[in-house]
Amino acid sequence: MVPWQRTCAGENFALPHGSAVAANQPTKNRVLSSLSNFAQRLAALIRGVHPGSVSVRRPGEDSLASPSAGSRSLDGRLPESFEALALELFALQFETNDPYRRLCIARGRTPKHVGCWTEIPAAPTEAFKDLDLTCLTPKERRVVFHSSGTSGQRASRHFHCPESLTLYATSVQPWFQQHLLGDIDVSLGGQSIALAIHQVSLTPAPDAVPNSSLAYMLGVLDAHRGGRDSVFVGRLRSDGFWTLDFDALHAALQRSVSANRPVLLMGTAFNFVDLIDQFESENIQFRLSPGSRIMETGGYKGQSRALPKEELHARLVGHLGIPEDHIVSEYGMSELSSQAYDHSILKCSEKDTGAPVRGIFFFPPWARVRVISPETQSEVSEGETGLIQVTDLANVASVLAVQTSDLGIRRGDGFELRGRAPTVEPRGCSLMTA
Amino acid sequence: MSLPALPNLFLADLGSGLALRPETLRDACFALRQNREHWLAGQRTRPLLEMVAYTAEQWLQPDYGYRVRALRDGPAETGFPATTLARGLDAFFRSLSLENLEALIVQDLGDSRRLDDFTSTVAEARGGRTSLARGPILLAHIAAGNLPNPTLFSMVLGILLKSAQLVKCPSRSSLLPRLFAHSLAHTEPKLGSCLELAYWPGGDERLNEILFHEADCVTATGNDETVADLRRRVPLRTRFIPYGHRLSFAYVSNELLSTYSIKRVVRDAGADITAWNQLGCLSPHVFYIQEDGVVSPEGFAELLAVELAAREAAEPRGDLSPDESAAISTRRAVYEMRAAVTVGAREPFRGENPFREAPGQIRLWKSEHSTAWTVVLESNLLLQQSCLNRFIYVKPVRKLAEALHHLEPYRHQVSTFGLGAVDFRAVELSRELAHWGVPRICPLGKMQEPPAPWRHDGRPSLGDLVTWTDFES
Repeated sequence: MVPWQRTCAGENFALPHGSAVAANQPTKNRVLSSLSNFAQRLAALIRGVHPGSVSVRRPGEDSLASPSAGSRSLDGRLPESFEALALELFALQFETNDPYRRLCIARGRTPKHVGCWTEIPAAPTEAFKDLDLTCLTPKERRVVFHSSGTSGQRASRHFHCPESLTLYATSVQPWFQQHLLGDIDVSLGGQSIALAIHQVSLTPAPDAVPNSSLAYMLGVLDAHRGGRDSVFVGRLRSDGFWTLDFDALHAALQRSVSANRPVLLMGTAFNFVDLIDQFESENIQFRLSPGSRIMETGGYKGQSRALPKEELHARLVGHLGIPEDHIVSEYGMSELSSQAYDHSILKCSEKDTGAPVRGIFFFPPWARVRVISPETQSEVSEGETGLIQVTDLANVASVLAVQTSDLGIRRGDGFELRGRAPTVEPRGCSLMTA
Repeated sequence: MSLPALPNLFLADLGSGLALRPETLRDACFALRQNREHWLAGQRTRPLLEMVAYTAEQWLQPDYGYRVRALRDGPAETGFPATTLARGLDAFFRSLSLENLEALIVQDLGDSRRLDDFTSTVAEARGGRTSLARGPILLAHIAAGNLPNPTLFSMVLGILLKSAQLVKCPSRSSLLPRLFAHSLAHTEPKLGSCLELAYWPGGDERLNEILFHEADCVTATGNDETVADLRRRVPLRTRFIPYGHRLSFAYVSNELLSTYSIKRVVRDAGADITAWNQLGCLSPHVFYIQEDGVVSPEGFAELLAVELAAREAAEPRGDLSPDESAAISTRRAVYEMRAAVTVGAREPFRGENPFREAPGQIRLWKSEHSTAWTVVLESNLLLQQSCLNRFIYVKPVRKLAEALHHLEPYRHQVSTFGLGAVDFRAVELSRELAHWGVPRICPLGKMQEPPAPWRHDGRPSLGDLVTWTDFES
């Protein structure tokens, strides 16, 4: 089998300007080439952000009082401001994304009327289920990411083209690096430690589940780290659910322990519940090597029993011997192209500098979150609960402003996750006849 | 008005922070049975009816202390604003008249003295038989939290049946059942001695088990999973009466969609949607509007939006939890998007049609800067349950059968159909609804105001609780 990363990741998909395709489709392509140009520029900007150089404003910190803490923005760190980039992308998406344009018109907020990134109309995540919410023509849609949903529920569909995928791959890496591998000091020979980490993904491999943005993301990370004996131990069942290949998982963990290599274990919350259930029933416990870590991404969606996060983490600590502060939660979804993390794994030297903030998610500088009052639709004050809205510049081929149905508490420039608002239930019913 | 604090008559008066011990619950059940034996079991029905009817009349007086407390403390404890509470409680207590209560007994048991003596109906007399009906000795109610009147009514049924009663109060609020119990005890302290109210967490199996063994009949109201779970735990000898999740709807026939009657129809529809903020099983999820009236379904929806806005000014819905308002906001966003795209669709799409399935006609009316009310006009007839708190769907149909066809998966869950139709049509439509399986059909504006003798979920409420003794002579 050809390793997946060699077929996809790292390949430069960008169409050269003025290609034959561009020449044949003058109107549409003019905008599309602007979109791909935007994607390339943003990717270049992101590559310029060095891991560790981005600081975020923590709750309670006054950015005015301590300008050195820096409010989390591209401004000053990158040559172009978030605002300018957001407005530019909004105008491009307004042109090319037909359903989104109609939403903007209905709300009376077109590029002519919008002067600030916070005024850009957000499309609800639910709309990705109803509509082809995309700037791409059917021909240009190379990959589609589906939301994981229970059978019978319609999944969201987020279309990507080669350029948007390249941007996706570019944007995944630095923020992940900062949060999951930030404790490894590259300058002190950490590069080899980072590479020595054994990546074990609990999802199926990306080529087995080409519509999973999470599997794609893990594939990108894997490729970036060179893909040295990393494994995907998830399997796709015939009913569409994911399951774990315990033999493969067990063997992988065993191998790392024998070689005294740290493990980077990544998967969804329900993957980890499956893992715990199996380990408990077989009374298995591992003491993974020091430096081992977990990235867990939320969401159960009916695939396993739901465990409260604290309990899940406590059991992972017990079964794998990974310290609590080495379990990082990720917040991401198929409708977005950037991810938020709830804390960073710190270097030993950093641990003494105050209590680490846990449970508060921050997006990278190219995506900003606003917590919106469901009652008034305006941004809530610090410490209040509302719906999470993300403006993600990396969502280049669909809509940059996405209104989720997740509830969160506003904490500085980040948010604390509260749960999910009940959304529109699945329509129809197997009993129904037309 | 300052009122003295309520005395601690009931366990629930001690607050939900109190951890109820199993012995306490067992002792309470024992005392309840004793008190019943000493007094309630020997009472005749008529004076008991009078006590209930008298108490209900008192509740309708604006300065009655328990009512004043309910309207003062209710908003914080129940989430309903005072105006909504007052309207709901008034309708409920008005229905508890002496005549209505007597009618309930006659209807369910055939004779108003059935619970006192051997009596017979004509048919029974012809067979040479007389019968006496007996209520449970200890009747327990597991109450739900959405609205108070089903719990209050269950308590009334227990009194008519001369049963000692234990009410397990809902987690969210015990205020109204407690105030009602206090008011009954105020009318007749001995009545209060046969009543107990307590709170414990739903998952406390030990306490549930004690209750199910001590009581000889248990009613349970709640969502289907909770009720099904309780049913599994009730021993065979204990009668179990489940009240699960129910859905209600309304239908307006074309002859009422005239410029003459539309005003009243819309006003009544508004009353049904705002009563108890739409949170009860008897509140409508959807208004089905017949298409060929003078006023179109769209016209109806538009007028309904105006009506809901006016009602919001007079009788505001009140604040919601972030979860509740997020449910409305998220749902609105979906329809706003669909509506924007379909309205825009009058111009051709630039590429291909972006919808995965045609959404049909959609329009949305909503309160600005709040989630106070929402009207969604949607031609797609597949049922989408409302997220409630004054969020209503309006769907055009050619005829009633079309609506029922799409409600097929929920046939056994329907409670009430509010019916807007002129008399001759109403009879015809009611027959159709009855044969299909709707247990209650009522005029618009009355959906949340069932009369005391109504058959809850199509079952005789008193009749299901009694046990008979037949005397064959």
